[in-house]
Amino acid sequence: MILVLARLAFAGIRTRLLASALTIAIAAAVVSSLVIAVEIRATGVTPWQRTFDAAHGAHVLANTPTAADARAIAARPGVTERTEPTPIASTQIELDSGDTVDVFVAGLEGHPSVNAPVSTDGTSPRDDGIVLERSLAEALNIGVGTTINLAGTNGPTPLHVVGTAISPAQPRYPRSNPGLAWLTRDTLQRIQPSPGQWSWTVALRLRDPATAPAFADRAVADFPPQTVTVDSWQAQRDTALQDAQPVTVILTAFTLLLMIVAAAVVSILVGARTSTQHREIGLLKATGMTPRQVSLVFVIESATLGLVASVIGFAVGAAAAPQVATASAATLLSPPQTAISPWHLLLAVVAVVPVLAISAYLSSRRAARFGVLQAIHSGEPKPAPRARLSRAIARLAPSLPVQVGLTDLLARRRRAIWLAAAITVTGAVLVFTLSVQAALNARPAGEISDVPTELPVLIYTLDAVLLVMTLTALVAVALLSVRERIRDFGILKAIGLTPRDSGASLVAAHTALAIAPALISIPLGVALYLGIYAAAAGDTDGVDIAPWWWLASVPIALPLLVAAATSLPARAASHVRVAQAIRYE
Amino acid sequence: MTHVLEARDLVKTYDVDGVGTPALRGVSLTIDQGEFVAVMGPSGCGKSTLLNLLAGFDRPTGGEVWLDGERIDGWSEARLARMRRGKVGFVFQFFNLVPTLTVGENVELPLRLVGRRRAAARRVCGELLGDLGLPGKRDTAPYLLSGGEQQRVALARALANDPAIVLADEPTGNLDSSAAREVLVLLRRARDRGQTLFVVTHDARVAAAADRVLSMRDGMLVDEADLEVGVGRLPGSGGQR
Repeated sequence: MILVLARLAFAGIRTRLLASALTIAIAAAVVSSLVIAVEIRATGVTPWQRTFDAAHGAHVLANTPTAADARAIAARPGVTERTEPTPIASTQIELDSGDTVDVFVAGLEGHPSVNAPVSTDGTSPRDDGIVLERSLAEALNIGVGTTINLAGTNGPTPLHVVGTAISPAQPRYPRSNPGLAWLTRDTLQRIQPSPGQWSWTVALRLRDPATAPAFADRAVADFPPQTVTVDSWQAQRDTALQDAQPVTVILTAFTLLLMIVAAAVVSILVGARTSTQHREIGLLKATGMTPRQVSLVFVIESATLGLVASVIGFAVGAAAAPQVATASAATLLSPPQTAISPWHLLLAVVAVVPVLAISAYLSSRRAARFGVLQAIHSGEPKPAPRARLSRAIARLAPSLPVQVGLTDLLARRRRAIWLAAAITVTGAVLVFTLSVQAALNARPAGEISDVPTELPVLIYTLDAVLLVMTLTALVAVALLSVRERIRDFGILKAIGLTPRDSGASLVAAHTALAIAPALISIPLGVALYLGIYAAAAGDTDGVDIAPWWWLASVPIALPLLVAAATSLPARAASHVRVAQAIRYE
Repeated sequence: MTHVLEARDLVKTYDVDGVGTPALRGVSLTIDQGEFVAVMGPSGCGKSTLLNLLAGFDRPTGGEVWLDGERIDGWSEARLARMRRGKVGFVFQFFNLVPTLTVGENVELPLRLVGRRRAAARRVCGELLGDLGLPGKRDTAPYLLSGGEQQRVALARALANDPAIVLADEPTGNLDSSAAREVLVLLRRARDRGQTLFVVTHDARVAAAADRVLSMRDGMLVDEADLEVGVGRLPGSGGQR
């Protein structure tokens, strides 16, 4: 029996290529977003490890107030290699613009054996020379060969930038602010002659690197609270790859939102299918198929499309993840690279296929429960009884075509609800994006942002994807609506509706339906923004929300977009010829 | 007497898989104000095609359609739709009520289209439904009505604007004999009010109620019987007589 059901499902896919392609595209977008979210951090792991190896990185890196404390930690059991404690001073780079930028400078004595800066340009530090951490140099737009002034106790000290370097223990500037630079010990003493103003760092290699977190915990416990910090190599890696965190949070949220839209689209498409195939389903039931088996055909169809979408989405997501993680490249020896895991494919399948299958099942379950005779005779389902709310809304319509269109749209209650949900989600994401832009605009002029350049681009891209998906779904739904109602359009024209009235009834009804969801999307979008902000930043202090006139544009723009999207199917509605439509009976 | 509706040498050819299939082969006829004309003939002879062309639902391949002294076959769809609002009522074989609208909303549709206010449309609708024996059905969904009741609603919708011409395609074709009788009574009543009726039918009882019966075969009018005076009134001569 399952073979028969599968055959029917594949026939359904083949005969409705547009709807099948739309389902695959939306589900693939969900999978891509999910795969990028779970892989983005992994794309930086190998490049970080390469950087760590090149630097002969520290399994444990301790920062202490005195050299004696640093030596005490270095003397603990389990340490196999150690550097001499390195002094660090806090100072400022004076920019040509007159602004100053805080920076930590480390005074090196020769090339450290552990946790050495990995040169990316120029040379090692030498007298009167400074090596800038690469992300700091890029953010300040300072190249090798230029001269900068470092604020010192005895006034500004001019230093040549002799090189740039990276360190596996140093996260990207300005997310990690102040930045880091390396000098010779002599130069450091000229900048800050008072050793009492220095702090110290010591880099250690352990016999068993896996014990680094435990070593760090024990070392910290020997000192009064808040006096020393000891980071294991795992903690250094997590901090270095933390650029991925806000992207992961945003992508996870977008994945959930895209899933809602995907569920809406599948529910609408399957619902429309069961409506247009009412007689066919009746015939299948007449030949002995149970309602459950009818639903199963749609479940198999949607699950198959979900599987295809999972593979496509996985490939797209895995290829796109390193591009999205480009921000991390500033502190790594090589750019982020694809980190394909079959588990991620499995995760995508587990997340997406059930959503599509359940949506198809719920949408087809009710449609499959009708009288066989009624289905075969009428060929179309009985319209659901009209709710008072839908009557009231239809009465508010300013003209007869709008009233007729709204009445019809609201008669298909589930479809209207799903459509409204998809529009609400899209509007909420627009509000979210506007708030992100407002936050970026609110930065003081000249301030270096800790937001990776790729993040706003990613948000705009996801926003565009969601918008395109929703509008495409809207076009498909409106086209299906025209196909279902071709006879009604014929009748209405026979009574006296002009072609323009017919088109207007479709456009106006969908546009009117979009108004309430567009309004609801404002508070929802603000809540989404605050939620994601809190998840990524830890709190919502000082959060910037888009100004009200930006937000007010959403309930204007969304219905206009809906009107534009439905104008194409509206042309089909206006071109329905009465004689042709009546022949449908 | 004025010809309210006139067809001059109407030709309609359908393109079926690249092959021209004639449905009408030069039909000419005139219908006068207040006449009840029935068209009979076997299935596929072109009756419904003729009706669709007269209503402006389709465009002829050749020939002319005149309504109230105006040639309408070249009009735009919008102009034809506006013309139908006030002048033409149409009754379909399968009732063709808009399923998502209630009975009352279906009947009010043409009234609202000609600009009647909602309250006025409701009043007229109530009167019509009362006249047609459907009081209290205003808020009922069409699918809950019997075939006869649905056809009476369809008639109420066609007559709502008191159109000069009522065109009907097999109005009793899908009804039992009792329901068919009711519909026939209503058609007669419309004729008695001075409305012009052009009805395509297989039903001999409907034909018997008409002033004139036209017979069609193979896309041509082949016979005409004036049930009152027994004189044919097809314009011109030749193949159509």
